[in-house]
Amino acid sequence: MSAPTTRTPAPLPEELAAPERTGRRGSALVHRLFVVRELGILAALVLLVVVTVIANPRFLSGQNVRDLLLSAAILTVLAAGQTMVIVTRNVDLSVGSVLGLSAYATGTLLVEAPGTPVVVAVLAGMAVGAVCGLVNGVIVATAGVPSLVVTLGTLYAFRGLVSLWASSADRLQINAADLPAGFKSLGGARLLGVPVLFLVAVAVVLLVGYYLRTFRSGRELYGIGSAPEAARLSGIPVGRRVLTAFVVNGALAGLAGVLYAARFQTLDTTAGTGQELFVVAAAVVGGVAIFGGSGSVYGAALGALLLTTIGTALPQLGLDPFWRDAAVGALILAAIALDRALQLRLAARLRGRNARRDR
Amino acid sequence: MSAPTDRLENGTPTLELRGVNKSFGAIQVLHDVHLKVYPGQVTALVGDNGAGKSTLIKSIAGIHPIDSGEFLFEGRPVTVSGPRDAAALGIEVVYQDLALADNLDVVQNMFLGRERKNGFVLDESSMEQAARDTLAKLSVRTLKSVRQLVSSLSGGQRQTVAIAKAVLWESKLVILDEPTAALGVAQTRQVLDLVRRLADTGHAVVFISHNMVDVFEVADRVAALFLGRMAADVPISQVDRPQVIELITAGRSGDLGIAPADVAAVEV
Ligand SMILES: Nc1ncnc2c1ncn2[C@@H]1O[C@H](COP(=O)(O)OP(=O)(O)OP(=O)(O)O)[C@@H](O)[C@H]1O
Ligand SMILES: [Mg+2]
Repeated sequence: MSAPTTRTPAPLPEELAAPERTGRRGSALVHRLFVVRELGILAALVLLVVVTVIANPRFLSGQNVRDLLLSAAILTVLAAGQTMVIVTRNVDLSVGSVLGLSAYATGTLLVEAPGTPVVVAVLAGMAVGAVCGLVNGVIVATAGVPSLVVTLGTLYAFRGLVSLWASSADRLQINAADLPAGFKSLGGARLLGVPVLFLVAVAVVLLVGYYLRTFRSGRELYGIGSAPEAARLSGIPVGRRVLTAFVVNGALAGLAGVLYAARFQTLDTTAGTGQELFVVAAAVVGGVAIFGGSGSVYGAALGALLLTTIGTALPQLGLDPFWRDAAVGALILAAIALDRALQLRLAARLRGRNARRDR
Repeated sequence: MSAPTDRLENGTPTLELRGVNKSFGAIQVLHDVHLKVYPGQVTALVGDNGAGKSTLIKSIAGIHPIDSGEFLFEGRPVTVSGPRDAAALGIEVVYQDLALADNLDVVQNMFLGRERKNGFVLDESSMEQAARDTLAKLSVRTLKSVRQLVSSLSGGQRQTVAIAKAVLWESKLVILDEPTAALGVAQTRQVLDLVRRLADTGHAVVFISHNMVDVFEVADRVAALFLGRMAADVPISQVDRPQVIELITAGRSGDLGIAPADVAAVEV
């Protein structure tokens, strides 16, 4: 009675071949739709540049493009870090304040010890950011409070810290004249005509992209964001991974602070104010789902470049600043709509195939 | 084919639980639970909603620490303090809610938390090959692509992936929590075949189900939980369907089950 009624013979080789053959098609489809997503941003970017150049040919002048890349560099570094956090179904709203704190700390270090090598200054700024990220990460991972709330709190706390420091040190502003020449030259430095700060941002994006794609802990970040409970049941140390994402994001926000100091060379306690929403917008426009588990750092970087270009191009088209905000808003909505549409289409296409085969 | 039941009854159980107690705060969910699970056999774990079946298997998997009691794995006492410990022993669990990550593809899900590495980086091609081999070994042919996102799969396909994930590893004990709930007739058929094949390839299998037809078709032993107490853990040849239902709903049937005094105590 306990007799197993089924004795399935070994499957035939042809049957085994089937999943593999169709497999390539299925994966190609998925891949194509994701590429479409990033190409979409690129197309919007190209369109914007073409329209602007027609209206104002000087838009593509060397200096203008370099300024644009410099602005984009800071936002891109922030977006790369934010992507790691959003992928785990968290968000870090404190990055603008972390940028401000790191920029001010780096500036202070360079004023107090002008002989500090640039590399040390960069590492110091990143360390300040990493400590801020650690604070965020520890609270999020241990207290079980949503990161939105935690980092909203630290947004004000870190900014308050900068103000407190600046007023107690009686140095509300750091001017270009106070900074050592070696550091200032970093802001304008170029390699083959490309601003070095932008190359730094590109390097960060490539590194984070490589990490997320090819490292086990990078893959696990996507698992955590996609299904936190499943990740836990699979034995992934969820708390530790999320903490790491916050620390790395903090360190990158710290790096962005150093880039900010090198670029603007005049620092006060408001550096980076309001950047957090711009960063999240860049990531979302770039296809990083706010619910976690999907999106790439390359998309986020393209999103950052697009938002920066909008900010630079629209005034040059003679449009009121209001239109810039409206355009960013419309873009976010369009990105969300596009993602939803692609998702539905992908699901429908794959389901359609399954239905055909299941019959 | 009831032979294996009697033949293997005397062997060492793959897993044996002795006197397991487990409480959530003030509520005791498992009371002095004993259970034996044998290699090459399907043990059906049955019990009403809330009887403690899922809690029991999460305790075995190290998700919930137990308050007291003993685990013996292949006769050796062991402590399991997390999913990785359980996996290291060769225990794999397919959870009731499947625990799959929708945004990841089939291969990524099958290796979630245990990805293969080639040096420092992920070894994608070896993982893909292993996933494909496992699905082939299970004679799974309904899946289009191992690179398909899990969100695009049907309920039965998701179930298949969750089971394949458990089988992928050199596992000795596979636990399936209601693998056929929410499945259609054809897909239930496939999953039951799979469960049977697992036992036939030497795994010890624990199969949780509310469906008596499925239980009697596929199981070699039946273990009935009643309000957190093990009412019976016997070869299925010793019970019939009405008896199992009585064990589930009343905690005893004939000479089987918890002592009448205990039942009364539990019911007040
Ligand atoms: N994490 C938890 N915290 C507190 N109580 C819990 C927890 N998990 C389960 N319980 C309680 O333990 C009891 C047993 O639940 P369990 O999920 O093990 O039942 P089950 O036998 O799997 O039921 P079903 O057939 O509905 O899946 C229930 O009363 C449930 O409310
Ligand atoms: Mg259950």
